[in-house]
Amino acid sequence: MALSRLIKDKQCQIKIALSQLVLLILAACSSGSGEGLDISGRPISEGGDVPLAATLESIQANIFNPHCITCHSGAAAPQGLRLDVDNSFSNLVGIPSSEVSSLLRVASSDPNNSYLVQKLEGTASVGEQMPFGGPPLPQSTIDFVRQWITDGAVPASGPNPTTPPVIVSLTPAPDSVSSTLPSQILASFDQDIDAETVNTMSVQIERSGGDDQFGDANDVTIIPTSVGLSASNARLAVVDLTGVTSVEDLYRVTIRGDGASTVQSISVISLDGEFFDSFPTGDGVEGGDFIAAFDVRGVQPTLLSIQENVFTPVCSVCHTGPTGPNLPAGMDLSSETASFASLVTVASIEQPSIMRIAVADADSSYLIQKLEGTATVGDRMPAGGPFLDQETVDAIRAWIDSGASP
Amino acid sequence: MNGRRRLPQRLAMFLCLSPLAISLSAFAEPHLAVQTGLKCGVCHTSPSGGGMRTIYGNIFAQQELPANSLLKPGEAPNFWTGRVFDYLAVGGDVRGGWSQTSVPGQETTSTSELEEFLGYVDLQLIPGNLNAYVDAKLRPEDAVIREGYVKLSTSNGRYYLRGGQFFLPYGLRIQDDSAFIRQIPGINYNTPDNGWEVGLEKDNWSAQLAVTRGTAGGPEIDSGKQYSTLVTYVTPKWRVGGSLNYNDSSVGDRRMQNIFGGIRTGRINWLAEIDYIIDEGTPTGRRKSWMSFVEANIAARKGHNFKLTFEYYDPDVDVSEDQQNRLSVVWEYFPIKFLQTRIGYRWNDGIPQNPAQNRESVFAEVHIPF
Repeated sequence: MALSRLIKDKQCQIKIALSQLVLLILAACSSGSGEGLDISGRPISEGGDVPLAATLESIQANIFNPHCITCHSGAAAPQGLRLDVDNSFSNLVGIPSSEVSSLLRVASSDPNNSYLVQKLEGTASVGEQMPFGGPPLPQSTIDFVRQWITDGAVPASGPNPTTPPVIVSLTPAPDSVSSTLPSQILASFDQDIDAETVNTMSVQIERSGGDDQFGDANDVTIIPTSVGLSASNARLAVVDLTGVTSVEDLYRVTIRGDGASTVQSISVISLDGEFFDSFPTGDGVEGGDFIAAFDVRGVQPTLLSIQENVFTPVCSVCHTGPTGPNLPAGMDLSSETASFASLVTVASIEQPSIMRIAVADADSSYLIQKLEGTATVGDRMPAGGPFLDQETVDAIRAWIDSGASP
Repeated sequence: MNGRRRLPQRLAMFLCLSPLAISLSAFAEPHLAVQTGLKCGVCHTSPSGGGMRTIYGNIFAQQELPANSLLKPGEAPNFWTGRVFDYLAVGGDVRGGWSQTSVPGQETTSTSELEEFLGYVDLQLIPGNLNAYVDAKLRPEDAVIREGYVKLSTSNGRYYLRGGQFFLPYGLRIQDDSAFIRQIPGINYNTPDNGWEVGLEKDNWSAQLAVTRGTAGGPEIDSGKQYSTLVTYVTPKWRVGGSLNYNDSSVGDRRMQNIFGGIRTGRINWLAEIDYIIDEGTPTGRRKSWMSFVEANIAARKGHNFKLTFEYYDPDVDVSEDQQNRLSVVWEYFPIKFLQTRIGYRWNDGIPQNPAQNRESVFAEVHIPF
């Protein structure tokens, strides 16, 4: 009787139906027996089990494949770190960590300063210990990674490839925009490259000269500090731009696959370099230059950009509110609103006959005179220097000449 | 083999008993939304849930969830709302605990640690229309920003636009990032992305569309973007929704889709989700995978919640015998406001040649939400 009353209860019927549904789902969802699979859950025919050893092949088969590539592969690999067999070496060795940029993911011969080891051992200063959500790897397993790094973190061995090398990534990314010129440009290849072929003849950097057009007379060739293959990664070309002045412009990277000086694999096959807006490069045939561009756009002729790049970081250290009769606090440059109110069509305290910013007239604007050092009163700004480069001042000039809009 | 077969049997026993259990209340996660029949954005500042709690969310957590009140008879309640000034709110979550994990053939390991100290700040630049929000993980490692965005909303709250770094709208936003439906799609609390999101909150509908870099927190690698959308229909007793995600990437496109739902049957709040993912550009070409999640939250008494979770994962539909299961049994106890405790057992069941897929763990956690 009690049971029949229970079943008549509508809510109870729903509960029972749900429970039965879930039980049916469970019955259909048992785990796999693993028959015919390796430790990674892949068919043995794809490679099979490899004894754990201090080699990349073994680490790939026993660590990266079974524990890491569930997340670290494909488009949304966390931190852009892809650890599948095609990418693990070129994504690790000699590549700065994106979480702690001062550390390399794998610093050849230096396991203690390799971010990969810190993440596996749980000593990294950022983020979770890896493998995420799983048990940490036994230290005895991590020790094989340490040993591989100590031994020089060499790539997987195997017969020399017979296919032309292709580029699998470029940093900075093609078509990206940054505020300053990076200190280095990195190009990763899918196979070992002959170090002798990576030089200033085969890897060239230019900027457009300000017109965003290449192939005309005002193109500027960039002279890098050095161009070469990474000492620790034979698949990574490094263009060192340390000391190269950052100029706002469109930059172009050319890596030669055609001509007399080409980047070549250790099998003496030239780069397959055609770039069709995605990596890897190439059309499947040896040859073809890799050409990609990136933008460096620092200060734009807008109040927002000038505020973020000049007024806030440089000027507002002294020139902050409240507005009053005495400088420097008499000119508040701490925000867009305050800067606009303090500058545009406001008479200078030092030279009351001149507007700090005369709309559409940069030459007559006291701000420009102070920045360029042509004012007849007081010091050139920023006080004590360093002074703004002319391109930054020109951006401010352009903003004023275009109407100095808020 | 026998070990693997025990899993459905154990869960079956729990589920057969669960309809007879007695109930009420719990804490955090989407099952609370199912219990209350409310949208995520009612209790959380973020429209798609997680992170800072709203005034309502804070009061709900202090009044409705604890088993015991600290008030003396006749004493008026005094709630922490997170509001420091009219335009500024703060909040946080502190989690710590102990866990022990056993992996077949390996030494059992245990850890005891502060898991995370999260801090939230919400600044109303134009109250009701424009706010800036930051969600930062402050400890135990170096501080890192999880979310940081500016959100522009219409005065009626129906539409919004936000730009910056935020968690992507996709599926059920459960707390456990190691769940298959959180870890495999790669959209979880560890992988915020940068971009823009538009949202709609109208009547029973809640919808979001985000366009982001598609690099899970990494720098741009190409000009391709990630498009992620989430649509949910919410009623007081049940909800149903779906998500679509497309990541256009030079290293291999990824398409993900799921359907999910929740329903309240008496004192049990059910959650379920099924995901299907197609990955291009893997070493073996195109790969298709399934994963599912079923959870019963049994609110036995005020301040107590028993959570039974079953998960299934097929990493490659074209490869047989590679499937994995995960079973979790958790008791959550909220003794007083600002304090939640949790003990649980988790059993992973995968292919025998990979010991890590067959690990078991027990854990105890303390959670201080404020």
